[in-house]
Amino acid sequence: MEKGIFRSWVGVVIIIALLVLVVVFIVVGKYNTLVTLEEGVLQGWSQVENQYQRRADLIPNLVNTVKGVKDFEKETYLAVTEARSKVNQINVTPEMLNDPQTFQQFQNAQDELSSALSRLLVVVENYPELKANENFLQLQAQLEGTENRIAVERKRYNELVQEFNTYRRKFPTNIIAGMFGFDEKQYFKGKEGTDEPPVVNFE
Amino acid sequence: MICFSISLFAQPEIPTLEKYANDFTNTLANSQIDELNEDLLQFYKNTSNQIVLLMINTLDGHPIEEYSIEVAEKNKIGTKDYDNGVLFLVVKNDRLMRIEVGYGLEPVITDAMSSSILNNQVAPHFKEGNFYQGIKEGLQALKDAAIGEYNEQVETEDYDNDAESLVTLIIILIFVLPAIIRSIKNGGGSSGGFWFGGFGGSSGRSGGSFGGFSGGGGSFGGGGASGSW
Repeated sequence: MEKGIFRSWVGVVIIIALLVLVVVFIVVGKYNTLVTLEEGVLQGWSQVENQYQRRADLIPNLVNTVKGVKDFEKETYLAVTEARSKVNQINVTPEMLNDPQTFQQFQNAQDELSSALSRLLVVVENYPELKANENFLQLQAQLEGTENRIAVERKRYNELVQEFNTYRRKFPTNIIAGMFGFDEKQYFKGKEGTDEPPVVNFE
Repeated sequence: MICFSISLFAQPEIPTLEKYANDFTNTLANSQIDELNEDLLQFYKNTSNQIVLLMINTLDGHPIEEYSIEVAEKNKIGTKDYDNGVLFLVVKNDRLMRIEVGYGLEPVITDAMSSSILNNQVAPHFKEGNFYQGIKEGLQALKDAAIGEYNEQVETEDYDNDAESLVTLIIILIFVLPAIIRSIKNGGGSSGGFWFGGFGGSSGRSGGSFGGFSGGGGSFGGGGASGSW
């Protein structure tokens, strides 16, 4: 009789141990996938940052070139310089991706710089002297190219964030994400008229 | 919470390119296309850079930058190791053009250079309606620039090597293994037919290129320039 009880007790322990093992495996698997996806988001983010940096680096040269033009509208390039210094004031860290407020701040500053730049490039059309300046044309091409790269990298970043956030919100991953502090990542939001909205590909 | 709006304009279809020179507008003569194609294929073989030409009629208002990067990515222009692909896109009726440069060639084909090629080499000929000459000179300028970065011969046998060895492995597993097992069970001898049947499949298509284009897995990040004429 006692032997029988002992046996069923062993059985229960084995079953519990197996269950725990299964749970551990699930948690480890989900955790690792979260790490991989988050790493992807961070990498996408660094690409975005690179391109923004690249744009910021082009600006002093651009401003100097238009400054040299006689009677060039001062406000336009002052706006660019000002917007750039605002961008520089923001301390960019990966933690920012978890914080809607600072992220929004960063995006606003960059978008502000984008519109200041595009206003400048519109005004340039009135100065034939600049349109004939090979140095300026090169700068302009580089700037346009960088804007395009920014759009590309932003779109890719958004796709990576979408992947991460979707995975993170699913059950039971949401519990694991909560336990280990995987926060939701912020998206770039398309600004009306000035920015391409992210396009979802249903392929 | 997050609004992914669908683009305003219907997305034009993204073609799968089978040649280096593709003209969907019937502007160039067949002999001209063949010549460009052969030239770009040779350039790939000699330098490993993949430069692809695509001519289409219209984008229906869709942004050329979005279309061109999707074409470049879908067709994986350039090699996987170097990302050394270039797409030269001409949208004839919209009078738009773009040079899309792969990551690996960005240092030598800068945005400024792409822009200058479009404006100085290509546009003057396009304005006169001489598409062939404009394209030829544009491609030549791109080739000259690309050589500065990557310049190594491609072994054509290497083509598709991974896929082919996988196919061979599967064929071996499906056909040869049972044959071996059977021959062991049967005590050997009679199942020789299986062996030959098994290997026949894998030997058929080595080499792979008959003047055709096959993307090498290159990636793009939006580098290059757009222009018009």
